[in-house]
Amino acid sequence: MSAPLVRLEGVHKWFGDLHVLKGIDLEVQPREVVVVIGPSGSGKSTLLRCINLLEEPSQGRVWFEDTELTDVRTNLNEIRTNLGIVFQAYNLFPHKTAAANITMALRKVKGVSEEMAREAATQELRHVGLEHKANAYPGQLSGGQQQRVAIARALAMRPKVMLFDEVTSALDPELIQEVLDVMQALASEGMTMVTVTHEMGFARGVGTRLLFMDEGLVLEEGQPKEVFESPQHQRLQQFLNRVL
Amino acid sequence: MTVAQGRTSQLDVLESPEEHRRAQSARIILWTGAAAIALVVLGTLIVVLLHGLVPYERVVEGYLSTSTLVVLLGGLFLGALSIAWGFGVYRRMPTKRSREQAIAGAVLGIQAVVVGGFLLIFRTLGDPERFIFHFLNFEVLQGFGPGFLRGAMNTLLLAFVGEVGGIILGLLLAVLTLSKRRVVRAPARVYINFFRGTPLIWQLSAFHFGLSLGLGLNLNPFTSAIIVFILNTGAYASEVFRAGIQSIERGQMEAARSLGMSYPQAMRYAIVPQAVRRVIPPLLNEFVILIKDTSLIVVLGLLAENYDLYTQAREGYSSTANATFFTAAAIGYLVVTLPLIRAVNAVEKRLRSGLVTVTT
Repeated sequence: MSAPLVRLEGVHKWFGDLHVLKGIDLEVQPREVVVVIGPSGSGKSTLLRCINLLEEPSQGRVWFEDTELTDVRTNLNEIRTNLGIVFQAYNLFPHKTAAANITMALRKVKGVSEEMAREAATQELRHVGLEHKANAYPGQLSGGQQQRVAIARALAMRPKVMLFDEVTSALDPELIQEVLDVMQALASEGMTMVTVTHEMGFARGVGTRLLFMDEGLVLEEGQPKEVFESPQHQRLQQFLNRVL
Repeated sequence: MTVAQGRTSQLDVLESPEEHRRAQSARIILWTGAAAIALVVLGTLIVVLLHGLVPYERVVEGYLSTSTLVVLLGGLFLGALSIAWGFGVYRRMPTKRSREQAIAGAVLGIQAVVVGGFLLIFRTLGDPERFIFHFLNFEVLQGFGPGFLRGAMNTLLLAFVGEVGGIILGLLLAVLTLSKRRVVRAPARVYINFFRGTPLIWQLSAFHFGLSLGLGLNLNPFTSAIIVFILNTGAYASEVFRAGIQSIERGQMEAARSLGMSYPQAMRYAIVPQAVRRVIPPLLNEFVILIKDTSLIVVLGLLAENYDLYTQAREGYSSTANATFFTAAAIGYLVVTLPLIRAVNAVEKRLRSGLVTVTT
């Protein structure tokens, strides 16, 4: 086995008195598609956000490759370009066109030339099937289109890992599939992914490893098909009964 | 339950000739009320203007003329008519639209009766000649035209430089107050609270008479005033900016940071450009307030060439003991502030409707 891209060790997170993560250990190998499922409030999103330190763990350590992110001396801005994240609420910059959403960080963070950045934007928009929307503002796009632009924006930074935080939860049902298709294509290209989702079909069909979280702990873990077919933990059985 | 009996506003379909007649009468009530208020306000104004504004005796003549009496009585009659008629029948109007017209006519009638009644009573029981001599005596303004123009220019100059400087200072202060580090926030808060907590007139006096002289700077009062307006506006503008920046969804900062941008980069390219649009209306409001507050420099003892609009009016009043100068100054202020206030409302409306797409 190769060296893990992402490693979490004994991660705890408190929000005030609320103990959201109760000791998480996780390793993500290259080309893995880790899918995290679990009831709301189980800490899955917090776990995901701890991977790129949008949430700072209250305790425990987080690595990307050989760099410890929880070390205060680490330059997080540099590391974060390797960890693309897509949010439930898209979070596109509403004052910028789709293309400008993508070029902004390329220009300001990576110092890419205007021309090269625009080329990269065109390429990534083509990647998600929205080349023709380069000059549209987020407000002029459907939810599904906005989310695909958000994926393109993250991909443009050439991340080694992509994090997806319930990216279809805010979408109208008929727009979910176009986003899932993009994610599935990305997985088949070999992108390493950590996905928090309620889409069980995606978890089963695309995931290479499934984590079930409840009340701040990973209760069960394994091959998606096996986990779905013979869930061991009672809480997982209850959860699957409710969502399937 | 039967279907609602009244008709909704979307369905202004009139079924019977009776309903048609009612709706027609609502329009007449509205026009009657409108005519009443127009007669009272515009009618009186036109009669007076026809008599002439200068010398003030002409204004008195116009106001006391039989024409004015006729106009006012006519206005009162139409006003009373639309009140009685409108309030009498509005409940029986067949559509929402016609009911609103009847009510609007009656309300306009009330306004006409109040204003017309006051003008009529003052005309007979008051001392119009004395009042007009003091407030509408435009003859005394003669020779003050250039002075007023210069005063208006100075007022605008003070307000504009104060606002622009204040916006730059305010943005800087806002960024400091949003720091997660208390040692950075604290001095900015002390500054802001000091300037928001002391009167502008005190700041002007203390700075000019105290600091300027105390430090041996010997600043011109006008220069002192500009500096104080910048310092003061900076404190208020920073609060506007802070609220604007805080109103931007948290996800915007997270998206920018997750792409590898530093906090200052995220602020500069993602957050502030969005916040600036939201703070345009409150900043314009601040500008309107500042235009009016420039009048406080009267306490500094300016040179004549630096008079602002109010100081100029006061100077005119001092030399003639006639308050018409204040009337003129009010017109001067309103000429500038009313369009600005309209602009604020227009921008707010556009921002609310979410139709603004600002390209950068």
